[in-house]
Amino acid sequence: MTAQRQASSASQIPHLSPAELSYLYTSLSLPGTPIRPDGRSPTQFRPLSAETDILPGTNGSARVGFADGTQAIVGVKAEVERTVLGVQALSQAEQQEYAEGNEGADGGAGAKQGSTSGQGSWVQMCIEIPGFRDDDALPVFLSEMMREPLVESVSGGEKDGDGDEGGMVGGLKGRLVINRRWHWRLYIDVLLLSQPLSYPLPLLSLTTHLALLATKLPKLKSKGEEDPFFDDDWNAAEYLYPRVRTTRASIPGSIHKVRPPVTLLVISVAENIVFDPSREEIAVADTVLAISITYDTGSNCLKLLSIRTVDPPSRLTQPSVPNSENVATLGSTAAAEASAIINPSTGEEEVSGVWRPRRGGVKRATIARMVKMVLEKGGVGEEVLDGLEGVEVG
Amino acid sequence: MKSLRRDFSSDPSTANVTSKVFVRSTKSGKVQKIVRELYLRQDIPCSSRLCTICPTVAPKDANGNISPFVLSEVPAGTTAYPRGHYIIPDTNALLNGMDLFEHTGAFYDVIILQTVLEELKNQSLPLYNRLLALIKTDEKRFYLFFNEFRLETHVRRGQDESINDRNDRAVRTVAKWYMDHLCAVTKKGKKEKAIPAIVVITDDKENLRKAKEENVTALSLENYVSGLEESDKLLDMINESREAREAKEARGELFYPEYYSMSKMMTGLRAGNLHQGVFNVSPYNYLEGSIKVSAFDKPLIIMGRHNSNRAISGDSVVIEVLPKDQWKSPSTKIVEEEVVTKNDNPDAEDNEAVVTERERKALQDEVRQAHGKNLEGRPQPTAKVVGVVKRNWRQYVGTVDSSSAGSQTTGRRQQNVFVLPMDKKVPKIRVRTRQAADLLGQRILVTIDAWNRDSRYPTGHFIRSLGELETKEAETEALLLEWDVQYKPFPKSVLDCLPSEGHDWRVPESKDNIGWNGRRDLRDLLICSIDPPGCQDIDDALHARQLPNGNFEVGVHIADVSHFVKPNNAMDLEASVRGTTVYLVDKRIDMLPHLLGTDLCSLKPYVERYAFSVLWEMTPNAEVVSADFTKSVIRSREAFSYEQAQLRIDDPSKTDDLTQSMRTLLNFSKILRQKRMDAGALNLASPEVRIEADNDEVGDPLADVKTKAMLATNSLVEEFMLHANITVASKIYSTFPQTAMLRRHATPPPQNFEDLINQLTKKRNMRLDVSSSGALADSLDRCIDTGNPFFNTLVRILATRCMTSAEYFSAGAHAESEFRHYGLASPIYTHFTSPIRRYADLLVHRQLASAINYEGEDGRATIEGSITRNRLEDICRNINYRHRNAQYAGRASIEYYVGQALKARGEKLAADGVDSGIEEDAYIMRVFENGVVVFVPRFGIEGVVRLEDFVLPGDSASRSVEERRELVPRRESDFDPEEYTLKVTEKGQEQSERAMLVELFQRVKVNVSSVKEESGRGVGKRRVRILILKGRK
Repeated sequence: MTAQRQASSASQIPHLSPAELSYLYTSLSLPGTPIRPDGRSPTQFRPLSAETDILPGTNGSARVGFADGTQAIVGVKAEVERTVLGVQALSQAEQQEYAEGNEGADGGAGAKQGSTSGQGSWVQMCIEIPGFRDDDALPVFLSEMMREPLVESVSGGEKDGDGDEGGMVGGLKGRLVINRRWHWRLYIDVLLLSQPLSYPLPLLSLTTHLALLATKLPKLKSKGEEDPFFDDDWNAAEYLYPRVRTTRASIPGSIHKVRPPVTLLVISVAENIVFDPSREEIAVADTVLAISITYDTGSNCLKLLSIRTVDPPSRLTQPSVPNSENVATLGSTAAAEASAIINPSTGEEEVSGVWRPRRGGVKRATIARMVKMVLEKGGVGEEVLDGLEGVEVG
Repeated sequence: MKSLRRDFSSDPSTANVTSKVFVRSTKSGKVQKIVRELYLRQDIPCSSRLCTICPTVAPKDANGNISPFVLSEVPAGTTAYPRGHYIIPDTNALLNGMDLFEHTGAFYDVIILQTVLEELKNQSLPLYNRLLALIKTDEKRFYLFFNEFRLETHVRRGQDESINDRNDRAVRTVAKWYMDHLCAVTKKGKKEKAIPAIVVITDDKENLRKAKEENVTALSLENYVSGLEESDKLLDMINESREAREAKEARGELFYPEYYSMSKMMTGLRAGNLHQGVFNVSPYNYLEGSIKVSAFDKPLIIMGRHNSNRAISGDSVVIEVLPKDQWKSPSTKIVEEEVVTKNDNPDAEDNEAVVTERERKALQDEVRQAHGKNLEGRPQPTAKVVGVVKRNWRQYVGTVDSSSAGSQTTGRRQQNVFVLPMDKKVPKIRVRTRQAADLLGQRILVTIDAWNRDSRYPTGHFIRSLGELETKEAETEALLLEWDVQYKPFPKSVLDCLPSEGHDWRVPESKDNIGWNGRRDLRDLLICSIDPPGCQDIDDALHARQLPNGNFEVGVHIADVSHFVKPNNAMDLEASVRGTTVYLVDKRIDMLPHLLGTDLCSLKPYVERYAFSVLWEMTPNAEVVSADFTKSVIRSREAFSYEQAQLRIDDPSKTDDLTQSMRTLLNFSKILRQKRMDAGALNLASPEVRIEADNDEVGDPLADVKTKAMLATNSLVEEFMLHANITVASKIYSTFPQTAMLRRHATPPPQNFEDLINQLTKKRNMRLDVSSSGALADSLDRCIDTGNPFFNTLVRILATRCMTSAEYFSAGAHAESEFRHYGLASPIYTHFTSPIRRYADLLVHRQLASAINYEGEDGRATIEGSITRNRLEDICRNINYRHRNAQYAGRASIEYYVGQALKARGEKLAADGVDSGIEEDAYIMRVFENGVVVFVPRFGIEGVVRLEDFVLPGDSASRSVEERRELVPRRESDFDPEEYTLKVTEKGQEQSERAMLVELFQRVKVNVSSVKEESGRGVGKRRVRILILKGRK
């Protein structure tokens, strides 16, 4: 059992018969207009309900529920921690400190230079999924898949011409730096409340995104290289991802100029590309991709952060046997049935109505098309991010 | 994609649940978001006696009673509110006018909001404690209303609302609720006009405006007070800092450097660049302070006003060490604020600099001194104050500087005056008052409100007058206030804890009575007590008898106070706050009520009393065979004074058993003493005199002043008490290894003795060995000047001052090796023998009772000794402080008495002719560049002798103060810091016959008299003046 669970990195394989799998595949691979089991269009997401700040004890939290009953809660906690410097850096820092003490000046420009780079290890993510241990492959793989774009995304770089307001120099890592000797450590706890009906990555990613948007850090009162000292008024706390007053009329209040990334799950079935796949859809997918994107504040368009391939679970399904090879039906089949079809995406020989597990492999053009659909203006990525922005934070 | 958000408003249970969110920074550097749930309730009473509803809903205690309602049904009215009014002050009103709220003439029926109390706690802990005390007393009718917990008055903070705005809104909400509530509940029956007004007191303009909009009566503190009687007097009591700040913001001339931010200080402290310590001002030079910080062995010096940067003696400050080129040597000059800054004008701020020309000159001399090559003049590290962690400001007793009051003292015009605090270490305080004329010549109590960067002196306000200068009442109260002695009569709650029988209480006759549980009957022992004459609170009694085996049984019996004072009742708490009984010359401020101290506990002769006995079996060589502890009943046979006991022992005709047992005790005590001395105990000395004030009016008042005579019987009692204390200390330590109440005397660091060693070597060629207490004791014994019998005592006094003071501590606070009592050369020590007058002893009694499994009347005594370490450490801190203050107060009282005796004598003699003072021997303790400090053993006083007070050959001793003052510019001095000599000459006259040379340790003839300043600053101030008549030529 464990071995099987370990192996099924995408999710449990639904108990579908080869015939059902074949039927699903056929309808999803209809050229141009795939027919999805729940009647959605290929780019349509399932309806979801979302709310933020549901856990008062955390620095930020969110809950997202999909209509199929899967729900996730994310809580973000922040803690002040001393930065461990290398020996050389330390002595240099001390020297500067001493000089500062004598001059009585606050951290100068020199201090700022050293303080902008943070470390990825300051963000810790822990995912809990019912039925899985925290060292099982799925939670570990998922958390790394989400943490990586989070800490690596450096959006709103130094070249940002709009000025510093709302910008995040050095991305999330840079935001966590308090001064040369102190930083914030971020604990992101992701909790899937329901059984993982479908591959939970999109759900967890959206929830994490919302929780991070809602996350606030206590307002720093000390200056420069002093030991950090914070305002005890929570209302004065500042957003982890700074917000600016909106200029867009569509969304009231303030918006985030810099936003955490989201990771979308996209599958390809034959020539078709399907977003937000359900469990059954994944079971027949040729490829499953996790695409992480974020807003690039510099050019105000979307930016691709990472693409990871996810093992399509279909490769573990039982193949069906064509009548031509079936001993029981040998000879009784019509010749038409036996005619082979070449799978356009994999180039494998297929027999219509006969289920063959997918062996992976995807054309570059398909991937390019997937990425384009996510990133293009007015595309799926924008739709998702705008939708999340609409969730009232605070 | 759709998103939804759950709506909370539909949930009915959210109405009375709300939460409070804040950020908490812990000491370890963690920063946490804290969420506290609040469950709002509707049964919190308004506590007005008018209310008919609240008494029915108010929460009841276990006995079904509700706490009594506080606010009067007929509150005091004013002209503006003839129907009476309840007052609701906001935080600032309390910050600025706490003295007003404590005033007995006004401010009754005050509703203190929880919001306000919490805010006050954050801003000023002392004020918070004072407010709590006010709420506790019944007579002022202060009611603490938990507005945050009551549904109707709870205020949720708005989206962009600041905390201050929210709190102001909370105050207004409560005011409105009280109005509506009182209206609603009193309508039935009572007449409408009987409803008192609700008056909010706030100084916030925005709050006043909003209150007006919302129909809430609100006044500023000043407006409210002006409507009261005696408003002039009351207005003076408003905190000055606020006004001063407003008035001066525009001017912005800053005299002092800014303090570092809290976070910067914390960073520096952690990194070790900055240090924290308590700022201490030198008693001889008000411009010089010192700070002992843990990082350095020797205290750091803080020189001058700029470096001390508004710190006042006693403040806990953060300092930064100055670069080496600014290091200086400690001053060799006596600098008194009164003299240097004589002509400051309290109104003129514009042209004043932080360091006036005169002060600069005084400092210049010191810098020059710093370049000297000798050991004393060697520059020492100096520091500057960069921030204040905790102010230790209190109320100060002082007098109005008459010269600062100006000529136009008539009328009620408000003017600035300087108040000179009694404590010379405290700078003068600028006070605004409308009653300057009335306050001249009075002892007054003032407080410091603030010390801003733009003001040279701290600003404060007048609290009350203690009475005419030099009246006994005013001076005694001044003394008690200065040393923070609790002298108010015991409140009723304390007196309620006394046994109901009062003076008729007796030891129960039947041994079956529970009072006899666990008590040994020692009534047949020949016990007696030996105390100073006239002693009423007899703590201890003794006995000795021979046992059949040839050994002796020796017993020390201590008053069983813990039988009467049970832990944690009102009496116990009061005693723990008072800590000790304070003995003044003509007054005793008791720790325990009179009934216990002088009667029920006191081991009076001829009556049976409960006691706690320590019994030893000793060999004839005073070796202890065994020790036993027991609660007992004793009957003292006689109460002796030291002299009486001595006479009786010395009288060979007395051979009765009691006298014999006293002789045995004396014999043992000598052996014990010798053993102690052999172990290295120190024989210390402090300048002590006794005042026997029982003399009648005739005769010389100075005859009452006696130096303490040391009789053998003194030492008899002392030895056994020490022995009992040590025995008990080991016993309770074995039972309570963490929480035993012990006393230690830390080994003083050798550098403390450096100066004294140098001085002795230089002047007398004597060596002081401070390597151990035994070595020190031996070398002290060798410090004898054959021509100067007092010299040895003088050295002992000086050596004592180099040591640290003994302290109480909880056993867990130090390693066992640190328990040592240096002075007594005992590895462990505690106080057990004076529970009537010391709280520590009472605790030790409880611990010992637990240690011997004494059950007491109700079986609870076994657990009475247990106490948490935190609580014990709090108690130790307090009693150490009280103990020290009690000593200072006692000394100050003697000093005052001596001054008064001199004055009385002077007046008596003045009838015959002129007051010529009294001639005495004195010894020079310290030599400065412009004067010396002498010690007069006859009166136990030390005093500064300035240059003009040296009576040079050919001078008349009987010059008046004014005449002597005129000598000031004509005197010159030649100070040799290496030889510790000072040569005083008349300017321009170098002939040696007109000069006087004095040196350290020298015996001089002085003239002591009490003089009154007749002119200039401090008119009417009386001081003891010492003139040096004869020195070595």
